[in-house]
Amino acid sequence: MESAGTSRARVARVARYLAPKIVQFVFVIWATYTVTFLLIHLLPGDPLLAALSVKGGDATTTDPAELELLRAEYGLDGSLWSQYWGHLASALRGDLGISIATGQPVGDMIARALPNTAAVALLALVLGVASSIVVTYFAYIARWRWVRTTLLQIPPLGVAIPAFLSGLVLVAVFAFGLDLLPSSGSRSPLSVVLPAVTLALPVGAIFFQVFSAAVLEAMASPYVFTATAKGLAPRTIFVRHVLRNSLLPSVTILGLLIGYLAGGTAVVETVFSRDGIGRLTVDAVLARDSNVIQGIVIVVALVYSVVNLLVDLSYGVIDPRTSAKLGGAPVARAKDEAAVEA
Amino acid sequence: MSIKKSRAFRWAVAPVAALAAMSLLAACGSGPAGSDALESSKDTIVFAIKEDPTCLDPQLTSLTTSLNIGRQVVDSLVDQDPETGEIVPWLAKSYTTNDDLSSFTFTLRNDVSFSDGTKLTSDVVKANLDTLVALGKTAPLASQYLAGYVGTEIVGDQVFTVTFAAPNAPFLQGASTMTLGIVSKATTAMLADARCTDGPVGSGSFVYDSYTPNDSVVIVARDGYDWPSELREHTGDALVKKIEFPVITENGVRTGGLESGEFDIIQDLPYVDEPRFTGGDYNLYAAANTGVPNSLIANTSRPIVSDPAVRKAMLLGTDREEINLLTGSASGKPATSALTSSTSGFESQADATAYDPDAAEALLDKAGWKKVSDGIREKDGVPLTVTVTAFYAQDVLEATQIQLKKIGIDLQLNMVTAGDFFGVIASGDYDFVGAGLTRSDPDALRVLFSRSSAAKWGIVDDNDLELLLTEQVATANADARQKLVDEAQETIIDEAYLIPLLETTQLHASVSTVQGITFDSASRVQLYDVRASE
Repeated sequence: MESAGTSRARVARVARYLAPKIVQFVFVIWATYTVTFLLIHLLPGDPLLAALSVKGGDATTTDPAELELLRAEYGLDGSLWSQYWGHLASALRGDLGISIATGQPVGDMIARALPNTAAVALLALVLGVASSIVVTYFAYIARWRWVRTTLLQIPPLGVAIPAFLSGLVLVAVFAFGLDLLPSSGSRSPLSVVLPAVTLALPVGAIFFQVFSAAVLEAMASPYVFTATAKGLAPRTIFVRHVLRNSLLPSVTILGLLIGYLAGGTAVVETVFSRDGIGRLTVDAVLARDSNVIQGIVIVVALVYSVVNLLVDLSYGVIDPRTSAKLGGAPVARAKDEAAVEA
Repeated sequence: MSIKKSRAFRWAVAPVAALAAMSLLAACGSGPAGSDALESSKDTIVFAIKEDPTCLDPQLTSLTTSLNIGRQVVDSLVDQDPETGEIVPWLAKSYTTNDDLSSFTFTLRNDVSFSDGTKLTSDVVKANLDTLVALGKTAPLASQYLAGYVGTEIVGDQVFTVTFAAPNAPFLQGASTMTLGIVSKATTAMLADARCTDGPVGSGSFVYDSYTPNDSVVIVARDGYDWPSELREHTGDALVKKIEFPVITENGVRTGGLESGEFDIIQDLPYVDEPRFTGGDYNLYAAANTGVPNSLIANTSRPIVSDPAVRKAMLLGTDREEINLLTGSASGKPATSALTSSTSGFESQADATAYDPDAAEALLDKAGWKKVSDGIREKDGVPLTVTVTAFYAQDVLEATQIQLKKIGIDLQLNMVTAGDFFGVIASGDYDFVGAGLTRSDPDALRVLFSRSSAAKWGIVDDNDLELLLTEQVATANADARQKLVDEAQETIIDEAYLIPLLETTQLHASVSTVQGITFDSASRVQLYDVRASE
């Protein structure tokens, strides 16, 4: 049983560890929000007209008096400063406002699109990571140098081929040619497969670059030498020793990949005509639909920050040396050491 | 291949003057012969659309994609034959107008109900029109049709009179469009944004079943529908039970899906893919957008554009045949006037718009625009450079740019977003705008050029033209109005206030087993008769 004193000390230690991360977390979201707000409003052009022309087409009104009325209705009047505080205050209350172009509440639009995007992104991540590990494993156990080199050269192709091309090729083959999977939309549960595969190619390739480098480095390390000398099978060495040590830098890249996924889904969702965050963003930017852009940015920044916070916390699980020193500087040092050793 | 084209034509019947009251009624018994024989072997038709409809209420949007769906859900007071321009009864079984076309009295059918069960009566129509006027800027197209609206007077349960402060010849034509389609009273009481997302309750042959933004719209046939206009092929319920409209933004996926059988009909077949679908396995459906063709529309308050020689040279120096060949649909025709060939009131100006680069160069020489070394002309050291601001159809403008360069005119393209385009219109800061104006009545010319029009794009100072444009709105006699519209087209082309480039074609495709897709007078699709055969 722990005494009250040690448990209080422990809470304080965790708080000391978490506090800067949470401050950083809040800062990232606020900064992203503010920079986006400024970007939207400093760009030339009128967001109101851009959004109105979506529905209005060639009948879009250009009468200044009518435009002023609408501006007030959508909170686009007043100085930049007052608009900023007005929007920030309602965002903090959880009210993301109304899309000027579609008239729908931004919160609803995001809630509708987010699960579609999350399904594709998660499946892409799983496929990408799993295939990276498999390819690396085969490269690791390969007896001939040329096999290993060849295997290591294949995945970077995934980054080299643009997603709109690989997506269309996949649709042509698997949907139109073989009639195995739906070509588009999100009406069938299977429709998530082709977009996820398309996105898994670049995502897997990026993950692979970091992961395979870590594995190759580990292969040359003393503990692998020792394990080999003990007579352990290559598979056992890979799974038990190499994999765990190579995960630390790879998990870091995983956090960064979330940002890449957010951008990648825009292309994939367009090619596969899926509703999702990426397509919502593209449409909103084209229509200068500021409330929607702001809403999406908050949500994506939130997801990005949460994932990176989780990645930070996961270091302790993956590498016990870091969790033993719950505290700011030692953790960072342990992380560096782990990266070097791995 | 079967190409169904709506053609150009003059008004056959237009607003009929007072007393000459037409009382046409498509009585139930007089439906087209053999209508019972029509049936569909499939209950569900999949119609791939190219973009999210954004707003489901056709009164509040002018997006083609949305109107193609909305037409099935919302009926109009009258219908217009796209071939002859004749206005025929629909929800209204008859109508009369006064002498100067400032008041219109309609008599409604008494068997029409909305899908929420309520009956169509005069006060529902009044609520529709009153609400549209009150919405104003939120329903920009409707407020153009209803310009000068004074009010709707309820004469009886099924009889009402719509009055305008000034003559409004285009109103009857407007009443045939979805923009003035009739929705239920409950819908008129809703907020505009809710009407867009939830969809209106109409009296059409289909009702909205579901709408998932950016994904799909589903409409289902209504039981007990029995009031199509006489232009339809059958009576009673629609022939299919359900139409799904998946949103397929990628062109290659729409065409591929049509080939693989995933879709029955696709909207907007890209013109370049047209030859692939001309075999016997597919039907193509082509109709030119009504209104003003895609054109360069002049702002004559600009120094170079104010020179008539420059404008006329630009008109003569553009080869519309080639533009149509390079950028248009194989089913389309070159633009030849200030209106498209599918618009009622169209009068071809083929001679005046014929390609004649020699005459164009002669005009420029005479006006003092001399060719200098780099091929672009100059006058007093000022190069002959004009700019066109546009937000779509860059390929059309590029073809024009190349053609004009041959006669020494430097056309600069300023491609902007839709929002910035209207920003430029609002500020008047342009030489030319490059766009078309989709309206089904020749009044489009007044909207575009009249000084008093709130939505004008062309800035011209021409009293004769102004007179023609304002007079045609107030002319009840069809022949007399046609004459004014002819003259207006002639003046606009002669003075080259507008340089027509391309008639934008609505080009859809279906598998050959699907039949019954027709265009309404505004070149939007009507799916009441659509059916599939084995």
